[in-house]
Amino acid sequence: MTALLDRPVDTTAWTVGEPRLLAGLAEQFRLDLAAHIAVHGPLPPAERLLGYLDAAPIAGRGGAGFPLGAKLRSLPGRAKHVVVNGTESEPASRKDRTLLLRTPHLVLDGAVATAAATGAREVTVAVHDEAVAASVRSAVAERRDARGVRVRVIPGGFVAGEARAVVRALQGGPALPPGRRTPPTETGTLVSNAETFAQAAILLRRGPHRFADTGTRTEPGTTLLTVGGAVARPGVVEIPLGTPLGIVLSAAGAPVAPEAVILGGYHGSWVRPLPELRLSREGAAAAGAAFGAGVLLVLDGASCALGELTRVAGWLAAESARQCGPCRFGLPALAADVTALALGQRRPGAAFEHARVVTGRGACAHPDGAARFVTSGLHLLADEVDRHRAGGCRRPVLAQLPIGSAR
Amino acid sequence: MSARVTVDWTRCDGHGLCAALSPDRFALDEWGFPIVRDPAVREQDVPDLRPAINACPALALRLERAHR
Repeated sequence: MTALLDRPVDTTAWTVGEPRLLAGLAEQFRLDLAAHIAVHGPLPPAERLLGYLDAAPIAGRGGAGFPLGAKLRSLPGRAKHVVVNGTESEPASRKDRTLLLRTPHLVLDGAVATAAATGAREVTVAVHDEAVAASVRSAVAERRDARGVRVRVIPGGFVAGEARAVVRALQGGPALPPGRRTPPTETGTLVSNAETFAQAAILLRRGPHRFADTGTRTEPGTTLLTVGGAVARPGVVEIPLGTPLGIVLSAAGAPVAPEAVILGGYHGSWVRPLPELRLSREGAAAAGAAFGAGVLLVLDGASCALGELTRVAGWLAAESARQCGPCRFGLPALAADVTALALGQRRPGAAFEHARVVTGRGACAHPDGAARFVTSGLHLLADEVDRHRAGGCRRPVLAQLPIGSAR
Repeated sequence: MSARVTVDWTRCDGHGLCAALSPDRFALDEWGFPIVRDPAVREQDVPDLRPAINACPALALRLERAHR
């Protein structure tokens, strides 16, 4: 995913219910500063942010879900540096780039306000591609309150989007997770996902009560999903938190009875497409899954699901940074196990064992996420594994799950 | 006071000295990388564990004291 290989990202977006983050984008492709103010109004004083976050918590939208308010309070005194993580390294996710390309001022509002609320003097927007950087730079140039905001294009790759890897790259090091698990906040650097800052901008304008007039009691507001796979209307979708899966699937033009959905992307889980599953962190957890960064992928049954799992398992192995032995050797072994299952050659025991052995044994969560993806897939596809051992499912592999270019 | 033994996976090269010196604490996976059987270390077990930690050629093992 280097700049040279970039294709323009598809920023198709639609909403279930009232748009907040995506307000104005049905009418215009991109909101410049004047259009942004016309749609959203001026930005209220930033000192309200911390109190508002206590009343209406915002879980981080990058995948880990750490509450923004708790992150701000864990800073030792003043923050030095606010970093907007717009790298979006998950291949099936497009929400952060869609925000930065189409409504960049909303993200900048949140970043500038967070810096003001925490005393940070520096703000950096970190991205992986030049088109996104150009959009943010032109937005920065329009504002008076963004003189200290820098935009940096840093190297790509799945694990390069991890918060500590982003900070390391910004400091001139390699874009790789460091070996010590020290959170950046300990040194005064606040890193959050681009959507998280956009949500903070919405919270500042609406206040906690009006922010919480949609969503669930514990997870107020809306969230962005990137919906893909076998659907008629793929794209970035804004939904109230807690919206039932069935509503989003039918709005996206998914088949009536999909074979499986993947929630949370390629560090997420395969789940049975139960229409009543609530799309929120709690709802995903209740289904034994992780909400992650809001990726929802649909498999319709026309494609060989085990073949799809095999492709992604191979991609996950290739995306290992090869820093940590268990990930470097374990993920290729795991991918080989899944390939053997697709070829009908083995029982799934070896795959489950390799998944268990890599979990928790890396500098970042890549082995854990890859193991969760494969394990949940093999559990959901147990009958399919049996069919492959009995001669195969006779379905082609249609590549319904998008994967990035291997580095 | 208790402590935890941690592996810096970016440093570990799978030399295997830890498992040779403290087999009760460390096993090796099929590629030769350590599996920490139990990361929680009681104070009285620290002297027994210290040689394995100090012997790591990659300086990948650390004993982190719990502050709480």
